[in-house]
Amino acid sequence: MAALTVPARSPRLAVWKALLIFAPMVLITLFLWVPKFTTGDPLITIVVALTWITFSALFFLMLITGKTHRYRSILFILVAISLPIEFIPWMIKTYGSMALTNEIMYSGGASFCPLTMPMVIVPALLKRVVIFPGELLPTGAHGAFAVMFIIWVGATLSLGRGWCSWGCFYGGWDEFFSRLRKKPLIKHQQIDRRWIYLPFGILLAIVLLSAITFAPIYCEWLCPFKIVTEFQAPATILAIIQIAIFIVLFIALVIVLPLLSKRRIQCGLFCPFGAMQSFFNKLNIFGVRIDPDKCSECELCLHTCPTFSLDEGSLASGKPLITCTKCAQCIDTCPKNAISYHIKGTPLKASPAVARVLYLYPAYILLLSLSGETVAPALLRILKLITTGSLL
Amino acid sequence: MMQGFLLGLANGTTCLAYCIPVLVPFLLQEGRNVRQNLVTMLKFLGGRLGGYVIFGLVAWATGNMLVAAANHQGLVIGTAYVGLSVLLLVAVLRKPVPTPGACAVRGAQTTFSRWPALLPVGMGFLAGLRICPPLLLAFADAANTRTLAGSLILFLTFFLGSSIYFVPLSFLGTWAHVSDLRLVGRFAAVIVAVYYLFSGILLFAGGV
Amino acid sequence: MAKLESFLGYSIAVLSGLIAIITFPAIGALAEPFITTTGLTLSPNYTGGEVKQMIDHGGYRTQVHRMVFDDTLIGERKEGFIQVNWTPLGALPARIDEEIDADGDGQADFRVEVNTANKETTLTPYAAWVLGLDGTYKLEESLMIRVRLRNTSR
Repeated sequence: MAALTVPARSPRLAVWKALLIFAPMVLITLFLWVPKFTTGDPLITIVVALTWITFSALFFLMLITGKTHRYRSILFILVAISLPIEFIPWMIKTYGSMALTNEIMYSGGASFCPLTMPMVIVPALLKRVVIFPGELLPTGAHGAFAVMFIIWVGATLSLGRGWCSWGCFYGGWDEFFSRLRKKPLIKHQQIDRRWIYLPFGILLAIVLLSAITFAPIYCEWLCPFKIVTEFQAPATILAIIQIAIFIVLFIALVIVLPLLSKRRIQCGLFCPFGAMQSFFNKLNIFGVRIDPDKCSECELCLHTCPTFSLDEGSLASGKPLITCTKCAQCIDTCPKNAISYHIKGTPLKASPAVARVLYLYPAYILLLSLSGETVAPALLRILKLITTGSLL
Repeated sequence: MMQGFLLGLANGTTCLAYCIPVLVPFLLQEGRNVRQNLVTMLKFLGGRLGGYVIFGLVAWATGNMLVAAANHQGLVIGTAYVGLSVLLLVAVLRKPVPTPGACAVRGAQTTFSRWPALLPVGMGFLAGLRICPPLLLAFADAANTRTLAGSLILFLTFFLGSSIYFVPLSFLGTWAHVSDLRLVGRFAAVIVAVYYLFSGILLFAGGV
Repeated sequence: MAKLESFLGYSIAVLSGLIAIITFPAIGALAEPFITTTGLTLSPNYTGGEVKQMIDHGGYRTQVHRMVFDDTLIGERKEGFIQVNWTPLGALPARIDEEIDADGDGQADFRVEVNTANKETTLTPYAAWVLGLDGTYKLEESLMIRVRLRNTSR
């Protein structure tokens, strides 16, 4: 690896330019959040305003500093940490605990999450049946199938696998632990790159097994994030084994390994939904490109990419693997500003600043929209805890 | 004869569906071309035929195996699942450069390099023991034929009718040159194998 | 050609922004038509399948669902279940004692006695293909049992 030279100036925007880009976003997001601001409850108005102001401020900083990843990461982590603060008390208030009993499942009480998409697609296409114990349409509960499906389609069309760094309300956990240490204990060279095929293997296995067994196999056996949402009641030995598995997976893949490696291990080396989204990266209009004229092949991007989406081949071809989540860590890290967002069909040298803004718009809107369902309600619960002594 | 063949034709997709979780990862991780995959499929089907012939014999011998089998289905299917998962794991781990983090099983390497047909034939035989619903149908009919020849012919023609659907899987070999897919197949095979191992143990324990 | 590609690229990029903007607001308008148009339903493994018989007992109603063997991708399973719900119109009686015709042939296939307070249930099969009780569950608006069945229709 070549010694680092003095980093090039980050692509900061002049204030007036940043304001020019920021202003439409303010208008759009205020318009989208009018229903949230006008509930009539002053407490809700305060938390919604706080959320909107925080997110908007960080978006403005993103624009003016030219640093995408740093501020995206804060918002992304906020969304992930907020989810259990909102969801777990809701589960306890509605059902008495986080555990899903047979009664809850037969009543359609399980909350649908986008990670189930790979498993439900084949039965839905072939038999028009959704193999998940939830609701099809929202009746006031969290996560109806139709709602999650529409969000998934919208996010996938606009961002491809950018969902994994701008939309996923679990990925922030992985990201949080991966950012705690200053230096990795498990270095990039110590991780066999062939592990990046594991998510695709899991994807193939769960699609086949779920189609044959008509059960959401990943949810039942492999999802580590049940620990922050809901899980099957430990009423049988089988259920206890399943609970033990997801606890071990969460500790290993979401806490320990990201902490030691400074990489998003669960997202990059395990998640089958991310693997599925990778295929949509091929169709998505946005990508990330490396300018070979500027690239000094220092390989800093390879060593920092959180999802292992850059390799020596990427430097040669000028683009990351299809697993790229468009998190912008490589863009912000590159000392030569050789990496940028890119719109397919446009010349490589076409203004990267324009491509960045055109990407940030849908990405930030998605992130803000999700914050309205997670961060604002979580803040409300925290305020309720402070004022009433209860999260419920 | 036609009855068995038509039964197989009508229900072959179900037979295929039950075998797909095992076959697709297995064929992908083998990384063979279309022609070689076809040979592997024929070996698999040969093993499956062996399982069916045994059922044909038993159906004739007992006359009403359907009822007797019901009590011991858990044992039979559980054993088949465990055997199937072991063979699938061996298929993955016997290669000199296996999935990362795993070491090659030397004994398995030697055995299966001497008799390479053992794996697909064994898997086909165990898959055939899984008593899928179409097989039970054939069972019921065979139990009524009363002659050994009749029973065997019915199962043989059922086998032929249902096997037609397996042939297209050979075309997975179109991507044999894509080494990434082989790795994906290996990972998928390990996961499917672990799932069947666990299911088999549960079924076996329930049957006992 | 290059200009056309560029134009298309930028156009789709702008469109992506519009899609992101309308996604959340569109949920209310799109959710129901999406389900209706696609005809999607939840797996009968969770819903118990369609209700085939409704028997009015005055104070409560018995809903006998269809036999479920088809919660599988292709064909039918060799074993399935039938779900029976008792929904109170006022309150459920302390004890329910009912014979159920599972296959709709006019003859009772099993008898079930349920203590509605503690969910204690006794199942008496009348047919060999009625295998046993899967469980008794107290839902928000009804009491429910599932009975395991063997598929003899094929």
